Amino acid sequence: MATIDTYADSGHVSVSDWDHRYYHVDQVLDRPGPRTDPDFIPGDAVKSFLRDQCKILVIGAGGLGCEILADLALSGFKDIHVIDMDTIDISNLNRQFLFRPKDVGKPKATVAAEYITRRVPGVTVTPFYGKIQDKDDDFYMQFNLVICGLDSVEARRWMNATLVNLVDPERPESLKPLIDGGTEGFKGQARVILPTITSCYECSLDMLNKQTAFPICTIANTPRLPEHCIEWASVLEWPRVHGDKKMDTDDPDHISWLYEVALKRAKEFSIEGVTWSLTQGVVKNIIPAIASTNAIIAASCCNEAFKIATSSAAYLNNYFMLIGTEGVYSYTFEHERRPNCPVCGGESVDIQVPKDWSVERLIEMLVEKQDIQIKKPSLSTPTTNIYFQAPPQLEEATRPNLERLVSDLVPEGGEVTVTATTLPFSLSLRITYV
Amino acid sequence: MAPGESQSIESATATIRPDNKTRRYDRQLRLWAATGQAALESCRILALSASATSTSILKNLVLPGIGHFTILDPTVTSGADAGNNFFLDGPNSIGKLRASEAVPLLCELNDGVEGRADTRSVQEVLEQDPSFFLSFTVIIAHNLASPVLNKLSALLWSNESAPALIVVRSSGFLSEFFIQFHEHDIIESHSESAPSLRIDSPFQSLLDDALAVDLANMDITDHGHVPFVLILVRAMHDWKKEHGGNPPKTYEEKQDFKDTLGLMKRKPDEENFDEALAQAYRAWTPTAVPSDLIKLFAALPDPLSSSAPPFSHLLLALKKFTEQHDGHLPVAGKVPDMKADTKQYVALQRLYRAQAAADAVAYRALLDPAACVPDDVVDLFLKNAHAVRRLQGAQWGTLDRDPTKLAESLDMFPKETATHLALAALAAWQTMHPQPPEPGVNEVRPSAEELSGLAARLLPADVELPEKEAGDAIGEIARAPSADLPNVAAFLGGLVAQEAIKMITKQYVPVNGYCVADLVETWTSTLAP
Ligand SMILES: [Zn+2]
Repeated sequence: MATIDTYADSGHVSVSDWDHRYYHVDQVLDRPGPRTDPDFIPGDAVKSFLRDQCKILVIGAGGLGCEILADLALSGFKDIHVIDMDTIDISNLNRQFLFRPKDVGKPKATVAAEYITRRVPGVTVTPFYGKIQDKDDDFYMQFNLVICGLDSVEARRWMNATLVNLVDPERPESLKPLIDGGTEGFKGQARVILPTITSCYECSLDMLNKQTAFPICTIANTPRLPEHCIEWASVLEWPRVHGDKKMDTDDPDHISWLYEVALKRAKEFSIEGVTWSLTQGVVKNIIPAIASTNAIIAASCCNEAFKIATSSAAYLNNYFMLIGTEGVYSYTFEHERRPNCPVCGGESVDIQVPKDWSVERLIEMLVEKQDIQIKKPSLSTPTTNIYFQAPPQLEEATRPNLERLVSDLVPEGGEVTVTATTLPFSLSLRITYV
Repeated sequence: MAPGESQSIESATATIRPDNKTRRYDRQLRLWAATGQAALESCRILALSASATSTSILKNLVLPGIGHFTILDPTVTSGADAGNNFFLDGPNSIGKLRASEAVPLLCELNDGVEGRADTRSVQEVLEQDPSFFLSFTVIIAHNLASPVLNKLSALLWSNESAPALIVVRSSGFLSEFFIQFHEHDIIESHSESAPSLRIDSPFQSLLDDALAVDLANMDITDHGHVPFVLILVRAMHDWKKEHGGNPPKTYEEKQDFKDTLGLMKRKPDEENFDEALAQAYRAWTPTAVPSDLIKLFAALPDPLSSSAPPFSHLLLALKKFTEQHDGHLPVAGKVPDMKADTKQYVALQRLYRAQAAADAVAYRALLDPAACVPDDVVDLFLKNAHAVRRLQGAQWGTLDRDPTKLAESLDMFPKETATHLALAALAAWQTMHPQPPEPGVNEVRPSAEELSGLAARLLPADVELPEKEAGDAIGEIARAPSADLPNVAAFLGGLVAQEAIKMITKQYVPVNGYCVADLVETWTSTLAP
């Protein structure tokens, strides 16, 4: 019969595992399968590593995060940490199943952590209500694994770059596998990133869907779609009418104002289809989200975490993509590293610049280019500060360069270093003129 | 009610700020709209166990707001259940009835959903109260013992209006599910393909408008804002006049056609002409009835009885319409965004809408009035006519009773079919070795050899199991035959709930066949039914 295993957890809670608690999970930890790595040693050691030693970090306690926390806890991870900077909104309740109406307004990380700790005995979830950028390398170094369930591209790029930078070839434990999940409506993906070894998040930046941006002249002069009228209301009319008062897309009064203004413009131009819901969708850039897709992607992320932590089966190499609109379509493949990836590649990116391009034009290109997408880039060469977005004095000093030709500032074949305050890495460009 | 009236009601309600319920469901309403939500809210789901997989599926149905669910399960919660099921209260639930423990924890997720625990066994209900099953919309059976499953499947299959049955099997890292239904009609498939703009074969008013544009003499700013649709229709009209009424056919001719488009530019940066160049193929690609629709037309009974499903009547009228209109579907009336100024774009939109309205009148005249199809359904059908779908389903287990088809499937999709066979072999083994009531106590596990023998029995005598693929799948099942792994349960919980939602809302396209998933290698695949 199974033994009762009593131990002290963090010195303040004492819990008992009950008979057959891990009956299901232990079936794959007590025996190897035909495809299991021959180095896998089934039995107590692997269970003890999973349940007593392994420390795992979850980034995000939202749609994916809630699912990830529950799946990890049931899989046997007992020391789980979670970071999230958001508070709970009513529109989260259709999928973020650890939250109830009474929790609206409270921090997601705290409420999720309390719920899991209460429901799954012996599991400790430690919340941090704040930004990932608030934590330093020492904090990230303490974990064996990191799972990201975020909807922000910027935050993922930061986390990815931080974990790549953490790798010290002399210290194998500094390599933290990163499992990243993402969803949008019926679609999603899960991937395993071994920093510096496999393709990283930055390597695949060009796979992201391009955001639809409406040209300002269309918005101002030739609107055709209801979206154009909404953009007109939020981008042009709001600042004109309200001056410095910031628009808050979570404030229903603000949305109502935008809706009324957009609707009036739409009527003027005989454009149909402006609704309150569309107005909110456009200004908040709302992405549809449902419980089921989040469940699928979170489960595959946690399944990979479980396989990596236990070696009970090979882990994903390295990308799982799911499309659920027509049947269940999925594609599992190895995404290749990009040799000139600014985070894990090291090689500089060759770019061709027309001789008559100004610095401002080059910056525009860097913001738009699919595989770069750096908002607010600062540019320098080994000898010159070309343009800096901050601090204000440096911005002012370098501003005149915006109108100068790149070819006047950088020699043929010269290198330009691109940095941004939001990203913990720099990109090096080698310029050739055409 | 006139179409104009419904529109004004729609726009009136759209001005109201969303209430709490709309706010709660906002992120999903953007996928299936109020109609889909209403279908969910009136549906009734039956789950035939409170296993970890079953409760994971139910969770993803309770959250988006189904009307009702019942869990039918007589089992008492074991230590194993308490360890892998998030919707049991850990050790506090041990010894208590599993269904009664799970229902309140699921209901807690959404107070708009009604849940019931029924602690009879499936066997008992089948024998004493079989009509019970007919009161549901979808029935979900996870790892239900084969003899009972076969009885239930036969009962539901014998009645065309019986609920869909989703059969889910899982063992360790491997799993599959299958949806049993007779026929499933989808008006809103949310297809990514757009309806034809009829550039190759313009309707009269489109041609008239295209010819009325005075490209040579118009104001230069207006010239840069003529919608590409009109440019292409015009250019093709001129081309045909000079080429005996024929569109460009060879590669060279198509290049020539594109060159004429380039020459029509008056300024190098006219983006509307760039769009026309990029879309030039639409001018010579003939608009045809989509092949899926042609198959559906061919399968329609002739004549159709008035009592046939409304969807059949809608299809038949569509078939007649295409026969009377040169193989064209009714114009959908939707114009994608394109480079144009407001005036020209809105005019084009009105042109397409007017044609859509005229086509709708012609279409309605072809629809059997005795079928009594509601007006809003007809409108929805016409908007989506190019992408409507009708799936022909099959009974659970049909594939396993057809050795030749299984052998073909094994030949074409060895690892997927081997996984399906391994799960079928486990079910057969469990029928011969009923499981002990308490998991982990006096348990017998199947050997890989036993499972291989049972899998081979489903195949023709001269067909062998592929060594590598069958070995991988069967070995994995022999390793963890009765494991309902939390991550596999959660994965299936998402997949199966998603397919149930598609069945209930009749939006998007559900799986038709065996959806097999291997979470050792992290892949999914679908085998034909
Ligand atoms: Zn990289």
